[in-house]
Amino acid sequence: MKYESQRIAYKYFAAATVLFGLQVIFGLLTAAKYVWNYDPLIDILPFNTSRAIHLNLLIFWLLMGFMGGVYYLISEEAGSEIYSTRLADFQLVLFTAACVTALAGYFFGWTWGIPFLEQPTILKAVIVAVFLVFLFNIFMTMLRAKKWTVIQGVLLIGLITLAGLFFAGIFFIRNLSVQFYYWWWVIHLWAEVAWALIAGSMIAFVLLKLTGVDRAAVEKWLYIELGLGLFTGIVSTGHHYYWIGTPLYWLWVGAVFSVISPLPILLMVIDTLRVVKEKKLEVQNRAALYWAVASAVLHFFGAGVWGFAHSLPQINKWSHGTQFTASHAHFAFYGAYVTLNLAMIYFAVPRLSGTETHARVTHLRTFWIMNLFMLFVVFSFTIAGVVQTYLQRIMGIDYLTVQGFMKLWYWTLWVSGWGFASGVALYLIDFFSLRSQES
Amino acid sequence: MTLSHARTVFISGVVISSVLFAVLTYDTHMKFSGKTYEDKLTAQVASGKWVWQKYNCNDCHTILGIGGYYAPDLTKVTAYRDAEWLKRFIKNPAKVWPQERKMPNLHLSDQEISDIIAFLSWVGEIDTNGWPPKPLMGAVTSGAPGKAVFENNGCSACHKIGGVGGAVGPDLTKVGSRRDKAWIIDQIRNPKIHNPQSIMPSFAKLPDKDIEDLADYLSSLR
Repeated sequence: MKYESQRIAYKYFAAATVLFGLQVIFGLLTAAKYVWNYDPLIDILPFNTSRAIHLNLLIFWLLMGFMGGVYYLISEEAGSEIYSTRLADFQLVLFTAACVTALAGYFFGWTWGIPFLEQPTILKAVIVAVFLVFLFNIFMTMLRAKKWTVIQGVLLIGLITLAGLFFAGIFFIRNLSVQFYYWWWVIHLWAEVAWALIAGSMIAFVLLKLTGVDRAAVEKWLYIELGLGLFTGIVSTGHHYYWIGTPLYWLWVGAVFSVISPLPILLMVIDTLRVVKEKKLEVQNRAALYWAVASAVLHFFGAGVWGFAHSLPQINKWSHGTQFTASHAHFAFYGAYVTLNLAMIYFAVPRLSGTETHARVTHLRTFWIMNLFMLFVVFSFTIAGVVQTYLQRIMGIDYLTVQGFMKLWYWTLWVSGWGFASGVALYLIDFFSLRSQES
Repeated sequence: MTLSHARTVFISGVVISSVLFAVLTYDTHMKFSGKTYEDKLTAQVASGKWVWQKYNCNDCHTILGIGGYYAPDLTKVTAYRDAEWLKRFIKNPAKVWPQERKMPNLHLSDQEISDIIAFLSWVGEIDTNGWPPKPLMGAVTSGAPGKAVFENNGCSACHKIGGVGGAVGPDLTKVGSRRDKAWIIDQIRNPKIHNPQSIMPSFAKLPDKDIEDLADYLSSLR
């Protein structure tokens, strides 16, 4: 740690870690409802509430992790303390309050009722305020330091689009097709643009610091990968516009851009592996390096391969709205963003607590357990989705009968979920023991 | 390649894609009204959309294929469920659908129920570029056209044939040995003729040819 104000990052990481633990608990509760038809919680925590909480916790903890990561890296990049640590503290309190209120509200039916964006409008306004405080604090830090790097520039655009695109999901639109058209600007474009830019700058920073490779080379590749990634990513929103009341030409547009969209991610994998191979420092912190490499490789499989597998209209026509989408969603969010946050956390927390050289076996055990069982979770959803596509869509057997035929894969999902949860439990122990070594 | 070349790649990638996307978005906006029959999007439909959101229906059900995967897609639900059935179901889901996986009773008011049905009817009309597709197997059973009618109208949601289907209505595997064609036609047109308490919706809205085919098919099951 070089700057005192970097300490603020730890609080964000701690909040993110707690929310991550909760997300997994609600994942298990939600999955149980697929396994057992009898649901003792139906009047307290029906499936829709449980799913809303599981999804919201994902968004909240990833954002919390991004905020921590950005507060950690911005001082070192700009070469200056954070503009205002009090503002950063205020932002943390405000965001935590918004998250907790939203989650508690779902139990009482206080919802806006659009998936992922269930937060009532007033809380969305608070979340916008959080984004603006964040953007202001980061921008002022950069402005005051007067030192600009490519990583900072990319980050800044990421933060602006993060706040800007969220507006597409705030307003009630009478026409459901139009509502969903703009809903994708938050769901797809957030991930493909705002989050990609923030994550890109975070991963570039971690790789730079871990491996000691030439900054100019890292920054050059950051530009190229993000340039190509955004080129395919923005228009490939079109593969969500096949069947929602939109013109037929989206089938062509979505198909063409979906075909090329895995390529920039593949480039990122190759580049990450190259950086690691050409490293100039002996990497002490293997956990951070492993997670950084995993975030490139699993991003490629989760978003690239699993996405492409059903993004052509000829296939999507049959698979749209089945559990195959759930398999892709789990793999892509985990592969691209969960791994990235963990890379950042495993990189930054030992530095913050001065235990940098302390390599522990649990770190890597956590890595392997989480990754292995997430693959099983993904495979369970994938097979369930394929079974559903064939029986329900192609053979025309009714929805609930087909759910019965999918039961085996709900069981494997449930068991894998527990395996994954054990990895997350290890991570929680890991995280909080890293800090306690400081005292 | 220098850093400034790389920057050019970044900027042109973002700009080209954004401009293309903005143009397509503009054009799509011009076409939404026609594709979604906005002239039929009444105040009641809009209220129904809010009911849909208020009760967080979308985190169990998909609509236009988007949402939770825990309950059936409702995009074209009004094509095989009439308003009366939907109303009865929403009022007390467990009674109409005593299957194991249950929908909770959300205690909607009568007004909310008619609003949400208006919303679902409007959604059913949206031009979705042919989604969801007709099942291939339903389409290839040309030997028994009535079988396709059976599949395409969601009959198997309630009735079993050969072990496949729901358990709400009677098993129809050997219905032809119990009922004749005329009886079946009456039942399809007005289920209350044979049992005033029947919860089966009327399928009188089907074309006569479909009812004829369906009755032929069912009465052949012995």
